[in-house]
Amino acid sequence: MTAAFRTIRELGADLRTGRLSAVALAETCLERLQTVGRRLNAVVTLTPERALEEARRAERELAAGRDRGPLHGIPYGAKDLLATSGGIPTTWGAAPLRDRCFDYDATVIRRLEDAGAVLVAKLAMVEFAGGMGYRQPNASFTGPGISPWAADGWSGGSSTGSGSAVGAGLVPFAIGSETWGSILGPATYCSVTGLRPTYGRVSRHGAMALCWTLDKLGTLALTADDCGLVLNAIAGPDPRDPTAAAREFRYDATGHRPFRFAVVRGTIEASEPAVRDGMREALATLRELGSIEDITLPDRPYEAMARVILWAEGASAFERLIEDGVIAGLTAPEDRVTPYARDAILAKDYLRALRLRAVVAREIDDVLSRFDAIVGPSRGTAGPRLGLEFRSAIRGGVPDVLGAIGNAAGLPAIGVPCGFTADGLPIGMQFLGRAWGENSVLAAARAWQARTDWHRRRPATA
Amino acid sequence: MDCATLSIPGYDEDDMTDEAEILFALIRARYAARLDPAQLDDLRKTVEGLVRDVATLRATAIPDDVEPAQPFIPFRATP
Repeated sequence: MTAAFRTIRELGADLRTGRLSAVALAETCLERLQTVGRRLNAVVTLTPERALEEARRAERELAAGRDRGPLHGIPYGAKDLLATSGGIPTTWGAAPLRDRCFDYDATVIRRLEDAGAVLVAKLAMVEFAGGMGYRQPNASFTGPGISPWAADGWSGGSSTGSGSAVGAGLVPFAIGSETWGSILGPATYCSVTGLRPTYGRVSRHGAMALCWTLDKLGTLALTADDCGLVLNAIAGPDPRDPTAAAREFRYDATGHRPFRFAVVRGTIEASEPAVRDGMREALATLRELGSIEDITLPDRPYEAMARVILWAEGASAFERLIEDGVIAGLTAPEDRVTPYARDAILAKDYLRALRLRAVVAREIDDVLSRFDAIVGPSRGTAGPRLGLEFRSAIRGGVPDVLGAIGNAAGLPAIGVPCGFTADGLPIGMQFLGRAWGENSVLAAARAWQARTDWHRRRPATA
Repeated sequence: MDCATLSIPGYDEDDMTDEAEILFALIRARYAARLDPAQLDDLRKTVEGLVRDVATLRATAIPDDVEPAQPFIPFRATP
């Protein structure tokens, strides 16, 4: 029985009936990560000792009737910006930090361990989660992340390994992070489902800080349902992270219909033709699930606001690494230079961006209070090719209104596969929800995946 | 930063160029020893993009009573 490309619920059922062993499952994942994962530059460090210990424990506990829930015995990979103890390096994707170890586990790692999940690998990422301003895929000491869908296609960043490992069926789920696009981007280019929770839903304790007020930890998995199961395990307040909200989250897998969707005028038209065509077909299907209303948002400099916040906080978060010249050892040539420019951001302008964010957060909540979700492209372009520069909203090269608003206002979004270009590259659609409205976007994404099979297509390279 | 050129209401292109030059001079003074001419040119373009971004922010009216979305929580160790 193959363990690849099976959902958490499917694997969990087999683990409980004894058709599948947690140890065998972990070993299969480790083997595939070592072979396929290394080819895709998806892996930084395999964690066989920890994985097999956790898998043996899961097997013992399940046999003894102690069930920790749906993640018990399920392998996963973690983006390599999450601190892990036990001598497992945490590199942040950066060559100068390739041997750096922490003596504690990030809260997310600890919560997944408590839920019985099995850590099999630290997964590759763009160096410093893209916080230095990279503009081409080769920006990690493990090499450019490769999409399972094209040998010369980028996996998307910055959660490169989290996207390609799930997309190639190497792990059932992975933890990624998003400051602006780092979950939804790889989810799109690797044709998997990616959930970016509300800011503060998941503790950031033990996670690399790129931008304190924009960073979110979330899940990449095969289905929206799997993302909900994982969020259920990792969400919640944490005394070690004062920004982790004191709001409990309970995943509701029952969902509701019909849905009320909104489309922001211009967001689909701004995409490249293949994405535009895919989105138009997707909207036709979505109309079977509910209503769709075209809306117009207030005219605001959303992307500039998000950029100023990101670059100002990043300049401070990485100040020591920049000032000490550590960035000279980074992989991407532009990452050795761009950070110096951020001294040009004045404090008053940063504060102006934060004040505008307060205005935007209220305006978008007012809009979203009338809908279950805003739908739009997860990415306006199909995946870039390796070796070429790409344009990015983070650098001002392409528009990304939904990404800028969603991240600056801290809103949840889920990216789902919604088709392919003529060249076979995946395209994706996002459901952007109201703050703390993960269950609404998860329900919409589940309904989409019940109606379509894009998320069940498998890449030949896997 | 690869921002496309666009006009920003209320902002003079020359003013933005001046501001970018002043800010770039600061960065050059701090870091030029670490960088070659091509890298400095790259930095200049990035600074120009940042200046353009902040110009769009400054051109956006924000009511005086709007505070930064950035809560500060006073700290007191227990008890």
